[in-house]
Amino acid sequence: MTAIDAGQPVLAAPERRRPIGLLLVAVPVLLVIWLIIWPIISAVIQTVWVKTPEGGNSFSVETYRFFFSDGYSLSNLSITLWTTGVCAILLLVVCLPIALYLRFSDSKVAAYVQGLAIFPMFVPSIILSFAFIRVLGPNGTVDLVFNAVGLPKIRSPYLTPWGPVIGLVWDNIPLTVLILLSGLGNVSNQAIEAARDVGAGKLALLWHIILPRISNSVLVAISFAVLGIFSAFTLPYVLGPAAPEMMGPFMQRTFRELFEPQTAITQAVITFGFCIVFGLFYVRSVARNQAP
Amino acid sequence: MSVLKIKDVSKIFPNGNVRAVDSFSLEVADGELVCLLGPSGSGKSTLLRMVGGFERPTSGEMTIDGEDITHVPPEKRPTGMVFQSHALWTHMNVFKNLAFGLKLRKVAPDEIKRRVEAVLDLVGLAGYGTRHVAQLSGGQQQRVALARSLVLEPKILLLDEPFASLDQHLRERLREEVRDIQQRLKITTLFVTHGQDEALSMADRIVVMRDGKTEQIDRPDVVYREPQTPFVAGFIGTMNLIEGNVANGIFSKAGYSTPLPVSDGPAILAVRPEALDLAVASEGSQGKVHRVTDYGTHGLVDLELNDATRVKAMVSHPDLFRAGQGVTLAPRAIAAYRDGVVIHRA
Ligand SMILES: Nc1ncnc2c1ncn2[C@@H]1O[C@H](COP(=O)(O)OP(=O)(O)OP(=O)(O)O)[C@@H](O)[C@H]1O
Ligand SMILES: [Mg+2]
Repeated sequence: MTAIDAGQPVLAAPERRRPIGLLLVAVPVLLVIWLIIWPIISAVIQTVWVKTPEGGNSFSVETYRFFFSDGYSLSNLSITLWTTGVCAILLLVVCLPIALYLRFSDSKVAAYVQGLAIFPMFVPSIILSFAFIRVLGPNGTVDLVFNAVGLPKIRSPYLTPWGPVIGLVWDNIPLTVLILLSGLGNVSNQAIEAARDVGAGKLALLWHIILPRISNSVLVAISFAVLGIFSAFTLPYVLGPAAPEMMGPFMQRTFRELFEPQTAITQAVITFGFCIVFGLFYVRSVARNQAP
Repeated sequence: MSVLKIKDVSKIFPNGNVRAVDSFSLEVADGELVCLLGPSGSGKSTLLRMVGGFERPTSGEMTIDGEDITHVPPEKRPTGMVFQSHALWTHMNVFKNLAFGLKLRKVAPDEIKRRVEAVLDLVGLAGYGTRHVAQLSGGQQQRVALARSLVLEPKILLLDEPFASLDQHLRERLREEVRDIQQRLKITTLFVTHGQDEALSMADRIVVMRDGKTEQIDRPDVVYREPQTPFVAGFIGTMNLIEGNVANGIFSKAGYSTPLPVSDGPAILAVRPEALDLAVASEGSQGKVHRVTDYGTHGLVDLELNDATRVKAMVSHPDLFRAGQGVTLAPRAIAAYRDGVVIHRA
């Protein structure tokens, strides 16, 4: 009798804990469904389940057909893709050397460089935009300096497609550097020295030893940057040209100024679709890299 | 046919102003295996890394076969280094780890294959080429690291405590294997260790280092039998170092005395436990048994001189001794040191 009594609570405990566990999991799952999944589904439904002139509802892909046949919409989409691609490449070109320097330099300057590289993280986009305009805009610092030393006026990138590119790259440097740096932390000094020992010069070292070891970090960094840049709003809105415009400002204008919520939602769903594709690509590459 | 010469090499690390290696000179003959032995922080790794090209000497020069390599970067040096651990490239399999250096040298693919397989065979890992390095045991990984250096046929092989992260048993086996391979290939080798067993069992010559300086360079048996300084005497094997005074040819310390034909003054008397005979004495005892440890094949007696100076003696019949007993000491071989150098040996 005592043995059975003593045994019961031990056996019963997991049974009693299970609902609590489920409850704990259920809360975030429900939140995700309510706040993310449902709006997505509802947005998609809104764009394909449209009101007919007779007052009823019917299935139609008219809004999408319009988007993909409208020259202006398409040029907005392509400027967004172009900006994203150029930013991704520039980010790698700028951040990889910074991260490599921070990882392998033991000089005291490295600490300041790190501080500088992380600094943009604490600057709101809107302040960044105004700083950009004052430095690179018409009659900005660069113009004044060039003028003072007698150099010709440069064409300001302000209000051209390069405006958002410069702003977005600057804005994304900190996160990219941090992610790359954490990846580089996994490359041991001895592995590097062993490679030099067997005759690897700087380039061979980078290409055959360092890059393969941080390929995951590069993927993560680029995915984060791409996802953020593709749907960016403030910087393209303030710094970019009026037309063509990136998807962020385009959606906003369609919604607020043209009062076409249906069209705006379609644009959002298309933007979301691209992001999903990037996301899937990222998940697949990481999974493939992790399988040895 | 490779000779390594190190001439007056010093290394001062700017941060902290540490003199890690101090006017160090050494000549390693062709096919010789020299062990750098010393306590932690004595500058062994720093010296080896300077030979490999990973640290720049503050002064001095190094040559391999007469060619000055002092300022040659590691990727251009004819040296091969085996690191303590974590030096294999985990994104490559065993074959690729070995082939990497050959590929950089633009060796033809079938030649690469032949050489890699030959070296894998040499280190006892034939057929392991397609294994991922993460799937290897610690001992196998160090063999791959060794093979990776050997496949390039370096003139000088450098090993920095390659077995430090392995267990005792494996360490002893790999020690023998490395020695075999080294002798078969007749490759000039510099080996860093802080384990005296390792140095004594593997080396043609041992360099005992302390604070970046050489204490003694000799064959292992000479280093063991005839340590030149009290530091070497205390560092290699077990040695009783008794600090006392000499007056009229008699060394004395706290009731213990023995003839020592040197001039008057302070001296350190050095006696190996295996060279110290003990006899139980009811009166006129020079020391007292503190503890007896029976190791089966022999015993070790810890005793105290009258002022609590500890002395160890190896005995063949530990059951003859009991804690608290008075004993007399009769050393069979002694050495004496004064001012850091040996002044007498008998
Ligand atoms: N990069 C460095 N910067 C500053 N000091 C260093 C550096 N590397 C080594 N040292 C110092 O140089 C001295 C010698 O170090 P080294 O690593 O050569 O010793 P070691 O004999 O290999 O010791 P261990 O047996 O612990 O490996 C130590 O005092 C160490 O603190
Ligand atoms: Mg060391």
